[in-house]
Amino acid sequence: MEGSVLVIGGGIAGIQISLDLTELGFKVYLVEKSPSIGGRMAQLDKTFPTLDCSLCILAPKMVEVYRNPNIELMTYHEVLHVDGEPGNFTAKILKKPRYIDESKCKGCGECSNKCPKIMAPNPFEMNIGRRKSVYIPFPQAVPPIYLIDSEMCLYLTKGICQVCKKACPADAIDFEQKSEEFEIKVGAVVVATGFEMPADQLSSRWGYRFENVVSALEYERILCASGPFGGHVVRLSDEQEPEVIAFVQCAGSRDLHENVPFCSSVCCTYTAKQAIITQEHSENSECYVFRHDIRAYGKNFYEFTQRAQEEYGVKYFQSKISTIKEDPDTKDLIIYYEDLKTGEFKDFRANLIVLASPLLPSKGVKELGNALGIELDKYNFFQENSYFDKLKSTRNGVFLCGFCQGPMDIPETVADSSGVAAQIAELLNSAKYTQIKEKIFEIPEKEVKLTDEPRIGVMVCHCGINIGNYVDIPRVMEYVKNLPNVVVCEANLYSCSSDSQIRIKELIAEYNLNRFIVASCTPRTHESLFQETCQEAGLNKYLFELVNIRDQCSWVHMTEKDAATNKAIDLIRMHVAKSKLLKPQKEDKIDITHTALIIGGGISGMTAALNTANQGFKTYLLEKENELGGNLRFLNVLYPVHKNALELLNETKEKIEKNNNIQVFLNGSIKNIKGYVGNYDVVLNDSDNKNHEIKVGTIIVATGGQEYKPKGLFGYNGKNKNVITQLELEQKLQNKDISWLDQINRITFILCVNARQNEGITYCSNICCANSVKNVRILKELKPELEIVMIYRDLQMAKKEFEEYYRERRKDAIFLRYDLDSLPEVKKKKGSTEKYQINVLDTNLKDNIEYETDLIVLATPMIPADNLKELAMMLKVPLDKNGFFLEAHVKLRPLDFATDGIFLCGCAQWPKNIQDSISQANGAAGRASRFLSADKITTSGLVAEVSEEKCIGCGKCEDVCPYKAIELIEIAKEFEDITIKVKKSNINAAVCKGCGTCAATCPVGAIMVKHYDFDQISTMIDSYLLEKEEVKN
Amino acid sequence: MSKTEKKVKREGFEPNILVFCCNWCSYAGADLAGVSRFQYPPNIRIIRVMCSGRVDPSFVLKALKNGADGVLVSGCHIGDCHYISGNEYTQERFERLHKILITQLGVDPKRVRLEWVSASEGKRFAEVITEFTNQIKELGPLKH
Repeated sequence: MEGSVLVIGGGIAGIQISLDLTELGFKVYLVEKSPSIGGRMAQLDKTFPTLDCSLCILAPKMVEVYRNPNIELMTYHEVLHVDGEPGNFTAKILKKPRYIDESKCKGCGECSNKCPKIMAPNPFEMNIGRRKSVYIPFPQAVPPIYLIDSEMCLYLTKGICQVCKKACPADAIDFEQKSEEFEIKVGAVVVATGFEMPADQLSSRWGYRFENVVSALEYERILCASGPFGGHVVRLSDEQEPEVIAFVQCAGSRDLHENVPFCSSVCCTYTAKQAIITQEHSENSECYVFRHDIRAYGKNFYEFTQRAQEEYGVKYFQSKISTIKEDPDTKDLIIYYEDLKTGEFKDFRANLIVLASPLLPSKGVKELGNALGIELDKYNFFQENSYFDKLKSTRNGVFLCGFCQGPMDIPETVADSSGVAAQIAELLNSAKYTQIKEKIFEIPEKEVKLTDEPRIGVMVCHCGINIGNYVDIPRVMEYVKNLPNVVVCEANLYSCSSDSQIRIKELIAEYNLNRFIVASCTPRTHESLFQETCQEAGLNKYLFELVNIRDQCSWVHMTEKDAATNKAIDLIRMHVAKSKLLKPQKEDKIDITHTALIIGGGISGMTAALNTANQGFKTYLLEKENELGGNLRFLNVLYPVHKNALELLNETKEKIEKNNNIQVFLNGSIKNIKGYVGNYDVVLNDSDNKNHEIKVGTIIVATGGQEYKPKGLFGYNGKNKNVITQLELEQKLQNKDISWLDQINRITFILCVNARQNEGITYCSNICCANSVKNVRILKELKPELEIVMIYRDLQMAKKEFEEYYRERRKDAIFLRYDLDSLPEVKKKKGSTEKYQINVLDTNLKDNIEYETDLIVLATPMIPADNLKELAMMLKVPLDKNGFFLEAHVKLRPLDFATDGIFLCGCAQWPKNIQDSISQANGAAGRASRFLSADKITTSGLVAEVSEEKCIGCGKCEDVCPYKAIELIEIAKEFEDITIKVKKSNINAAVCKGCGTCAATCPVGAIMVKHYDFDQISTMIDSYLLEKEEVKN
Repeated sequence: MSKTEKKVKREGFEPNILVFCCNWCSYAGADLAGVSRFQYPPNIRIIRVMCSGRVDPSFVLKALKNGADGVLVSGCHIGDCHYISGNEYTQERFERLHKILITQLGVDPKRVRLEWVSASEGKRFAEVITEFTNQIKELGPLKH
């Protein structure tokens, strides 16, 4: 069994899976067909709903992948074929030629500078921006290695030029490079090939062929600060700022004529985002959204779309568009549409149109499906093994993740990535850590005492000509050599090259250095490289400093060599001063308990428990009721495949009972939780009312949700038998006895009852619409003569399955649409049988509809479980404004809490259906088992520490720490013959993240932040200002 | 892109400006300015911290006392702090620091600025530095 995994696709899904897998003990081969990882997320400007800069939150992960010794990154490669069995696959890989030697290229860009100005469209810029024949797809590409377009390059096509070869200082150009094929052996395969937005496939009525009609992804590049227009919102025909921008939603999705019968699922929310960003960029622009249903069902998405309208003034039209035409004189566009509010046919003039066109599986999926032996579904997404096991493909050992399986947003993608990692950890459990390289340092670390005289070595990098041409390096060297305590100072061409690492180690040994400084690029990318080199030479990595004289000096002062040189001198002097005060730091390894506690025994809790248990970790499953199952106990059948809910429940319960690694506590409650990641002491209580004390390494919160009971709304008052909620209907349907239907001829569903309001419950509960649509069919099957009326606001039928599911049900029910400002009225009729009069203003017909109904089913939102505040306080984790648990980052860390070692999944995080709960549960188990899989946890050396002497016990630091890493503890102080108790601040190094906010808050300066200590920073300030050189002319 | 080398004649007062950048946002934004080759005046020296919340007001005062003509503290936008809330404390401290500068020290508060720069705002970083440097030039050297 191979302890390695092949991941196909380097977008956010592939990146997250790769990182999780290495932490679970597996080597990863990450294959990406384009020259850089990053995928679609690297192309986005900002992400909804937090409006984070997309590349800013993605780039650190990209660099992490690049630096990870256990991830073999293979960009510009493709997978040709996979043979074998789970645990033992053989994959044939194609390496496409870059015509540049990857081991030599430093990404300096000289080749591209000198390449003749024959430009081609850059696919990364959605073909709006252009690039030369030798190029890098975008500045932050990983790996930062250039490549040559063989179809454009003058030498490769015509045999002339070769200017790049002469220009390259690293001699990296290799026109003789050929494509290569090779094989690798892996235990499992993951497909994460993402999606594309080919708007050119749309029919002509959407007007995509007109210059000022762009797809949403093209608009992202226009919006992006690092895009072709530097973030200025301009239109393509004349590069003028458009005053009126129209965003067209559902431009092709949900449309049988366009051959895209599914909903692309993310467009409603990203359109709101694009409109908001547009308003932020230019006050002159007016944004209009032409919408169908608003399908913003994810966490905080619906409020986000409302914010666009209320805060940013974006105007939404409920509309149906017939066609888009162009005004040939102005290149403006005219939208011909029906205003569904007024019933009128209108036309609308816009300067720029953004189409939310369909998001389709990436090109080449059919071929890839053949190569891997896995099936595609009817939409060309990859077919999942079964609806409730969507992370597996149709072939054992081959997993699916992200958009290639079906439309989904980034939080779901990231959660699924962890879920796939968890399932692979189960599959390849016995092969964990068999191919992982643990770094071993041959030379033992030398002891460096504070009393030792600092012996500093400095290496000044030319970085080719990137620093060398703009900073007078000989002058820098002359100055630095004469600084006190600088024992040796050398310059070289590329400090990051492998031969330079050898030279650094030689210098440390030869001159007996106890500090090392490299003046080159940015610590954000290269610090860990040099730190590792120092460690290899026996020097503690925290005795190293990297001075940024390129990104923050030579590159930004290219026409002022003297000033740039003076600046470089100042910066190096500052860091030399700091380095004298640096101390070696230890990274503590702490022991952990290899067990998990799952709080909540519904489908999420049970699924998570099964995964951690199957990975071999003892798992405690705590459930507050007297049986497992949560809400699943009350459901009838599960949409859209109509699996019997109790069947799923019993199957899962059986697996729990058979699993020796799971200990279940029923009627359980938590009395106390103490400790930190890897070492929690939990006291809990269960059926026999005894206190159990357990030690656990990680905790997963899966407390689920409950249905909101709409007391007083639409006749729901506990006395009216025929006004019920959806869950109450489910329980009726669970019962084989359907005699209650005998008296019922017409049923009315009212959706969005007390959901998506202006106040109170402002969110969309995600699952209610599909649940009601499901019950339409169930009811019709039980009694075909039933008349069913569905009164709705927007129908949340997103994801790949639901549009067709809904389409089929349209013939079984009458759908009436209402608005938040004109709610349906329900009046109980007088008489012996319970009947109700419904009065609803249908916004499509613009007419009042009055009719009688026998049964009313109210679709109400899911709300958090009871008593979560207490649990949240015990765990020291936050709740959001809706009462659901607040995760560390809505986009990239949906299953983590900010507090290390605690995770969440299922409806505790946000209302979701069974399929998503199961995926998230696997995801949380994946995140949690990273801690459990390691022998010990390594804590960072750069933490804050309290000086007990100076501390006055005021507690201000405890208040400001966002990680709750600081606690005031009582210690006994002896004064002569009296012992008194005093309060002192204590920082838990395992939890502290080293931000230093506590240190700056402390009124007496009692807190030291390692590597960013008060003295260390002060000496840099002094060194800069008190020892300045005069500016030379 | 090729830049013709020319010597920029430096005449008149050249201020000394100290800048604190947080590792996750503003330092990254400064790096991006470099990667994109957005030029700005060479008067600043950046000290990297992990969070703008680390910046003790006494650092700012020390810098001014030692001869800095201006100090800029930059971090993540509110709500985006890598350490969740560090920058909120920076903002609070900054407002208090401004009061001390004006009332007790008679230092023009325009010399000490707080600016949020995200990791993607390379151009903005260059613009902020250019604007701040020009402003300090107008204010002249800080007299003690």
